Amino acid sequence: MSEPITRRDFLKAAGLAIGCLLATPKTVHALSDKEADPNEYIGMLYDATICVGCNACTNACRQWNKTTPEPDAREVYDAPKELSADTWTLIQLYKENEEFSFVKRQCMHCVDPACVSGCPVQALQKGPNGAVTYDAKRCIGCRYCMYTCPFHVPRFEWDQAQMPVVAKCTLCNDRLTQGIGGPACAERCPTGALVWGKRGDLIADAEGRIQAEPGRYVDHIYGKEDIGGTGVMYLSAVPFENLGLEDMGTDPAPKLSEDTANVLVPTVLVGGAIGLAAVRFASSRGAWEETWPV
Amino acid sequence: MARLTKSAQQPVPASFWPLAALTVLAIGLSIYRLVVGLGPTTNLSDHYPWGIWITVDMFLIPVAGAAFTISLISYFFSRERYHSVLRAAVIAGLIGYGIVGVLLFLDIGRWPQFYNILIPSYVNLHSFLEEVSLSITLYTVILILEAAPIFLERWGKSARWIQKGIYIISGIGILISAIHQSSLGSMFLIMSYKLHPLWWTPALPVLFFLQAGYAGLGMTAIAVSLVWRAMKLPIDRELFRRLGQAMAINLLLYGAVRLGDWMGAGEVPLLFKPDGFGIIAWVELTLGLFIPLAILLSKLVRHSAGPFWAGVFALMGMFINRMVISWVGLSEPGLTAYIPSWIEIAIMVGLFAGGFLLYGVIVRYFKLFPEASEAHS
Repeated sequence: MSEPITRRDFLKAAGLAIGCLLATPKTVHALSDKEADPNEYIGMLYDATICVGCNACTNACRQWNKTTPEPDAREVYDAPKELSADTWTLIQLYKENEEFSFVKRQCMHCVDPACVSGCPVQALQKGPNGAVTYDAKRCIGCRYCMYTCPFHVPRFEWDQAQMPVVAKCTLCNDRLTQGIGGPACAERCPTGALVWGKRGDLIADAEGRIQAEPGRYVDHIYGKEDIGGTGVMYLSAVPFENLGLEDMGTDPAPKLSEDTANVLVPTVLVGGAIGLAAVRFASSRGAWEETWPV
Repeated sequence: MARLTKSAQQPVPASFWPLAALTVLAIGLSIYRLVVGLGPTTNLSDHYPWGIWITVDMFLIPVAGAAFTISLISYFFSRERYHSVLRAAVIAGLIGYGIVGVLLFLDIGRWPQFYNILIPSYVNLHSFLEEVSLSITLYTVILILEAAPIFLERWGKSARWIQKGIYIISGIGILISAIHQSSLGSMFLIMSYKLHPLWWTPALPVLFFLQAGYAGLGMTAIAVSLVWRAMKLPIDRELFRRLGQAMAINLLLYGAVRLGDWMGAGEVPLLFKPDGFGIIAWVELTLGLFIPLAILLSKLVRHSAGPFWAGVFALMGMFINRMVISWVGLSEPGLTAYIPSWIEIAIMVGLFAGGFLLYGVIVRYFKLFPEASEAHS
């Protein structure tokens, strides 16, 4: 049987516990540098009114990143239908009656990415150049990123028996950091529908295009402010929802989640510890420890 | 050396063999899954990266919260009446978290480096998934400490240091529990663009916390009445009435927050939209809220069967809730539905079977209930 625990013992221990909780080291690493100027990030601008759907970008991506083509049933053309572990970018067609438009899909390289905020092991990181990159060495394969991404971008190697990876566009971070050039897709685009550069310059470019030909475009640069801003931005003649680019507001995707983490968790920990100590202190009715359990 | 408890002298019950068979099958399939990968063994896809295993995790964590609820009441509110079920709740919690741990291990694609979640330079404290992972790990350690005296006394070893520190141990356990039951809901805050609006709300952490409260109480009522009946022990009606009352308070609060959120966000019409989700919500509410409340607020609460059945229905409703949040409500429109593969289901069922089996063995050979030993001494 245990000795009755005195109030003094209990308060001492409770104080120690609360102290430990408060002293939790602030080891939160800078996930994405929130002080960084998003206009200095490298990004891309895709003008859907210029794109002819030639798929040169998809092909350039395959060649540089050595991904496997996904042919159609007749095995004549490389014809991926959607993003996959092997297809990091592709052109999709939107068509309704006479109206049609192409739309390019790839990682949007968000200014404040949900995947980076959600990844438990920082396998996804926002680089100083703006590229959202993936580190397989850290990844445990939980696939939370696939759910956190508002654009359904990260894909998983389901058929890989051992150590499957999460795959997505890297903005050709290797080309950028080694000084080889810009993203392979943007450099290959023969029409100028896809250009790359500093995000700030791209926004100025896009604004100029809308100003020069107001009738040609929907008066909105998708990604300039949407969901806190994205590295890849879009111009279009048809409503963006039709291209699968939903209006999700201008708050960064992880804002609510991170605000909750910063406020709720410490509040519950500290408040709970104080509450427990108070309740225990108030309801002490002598040495009930003498009775049965533990 | 303690003597065998009364139950250990009874013959092996017939339910042992089918449970053992299911467990062995699940062990075999689990090894197969680890060797060949997720593709051949599950129906998960890029559109449904999470499936029934995550549902089970998200269901079992609040159910195993029985240990959290009961230790809060007995250690900090000093309600002696609950002490008689404390050990049973702690063991149930430990087995529940054990199943969650095994399922998560099977679910992650890169399991050989699962320990990355514990490497300090990798840890992302912004991530609610990381918070949940750390909490599950830490809380399992706490449960092992809380349960240790049950085993130590059986083997004649002293558990004094645990008994002396029990307030600190269980206090930390309660805090971690409170954090991660709500963090489990917070994990889905970031999916506001994806999760169906009838289930997505900024109040998700609050709702998950309240669910953990009533699920833990309900599970305690279920487990205690099953074990007491099997062991032909006298039923403590007063205990059941109190469990029922506490459950009712949690359910009422949960219902109020849920309804308040729908009204505040103007989502009530979605309940009557004929798209399937409205119907699922009604089924969930009926099973998980209306029926248990009807039982608990009527005279049925005075019979032990009342809280028992209220618990069963509340858990069924919560299973649907967690299923919708973990994958059904996250589906992209126009895509083929995910239906779990037989291997996913067999592993899930087998792990439950293994859990029951283990619980049976512990009830049989260790002192979980005071009467079980007093009847002998």
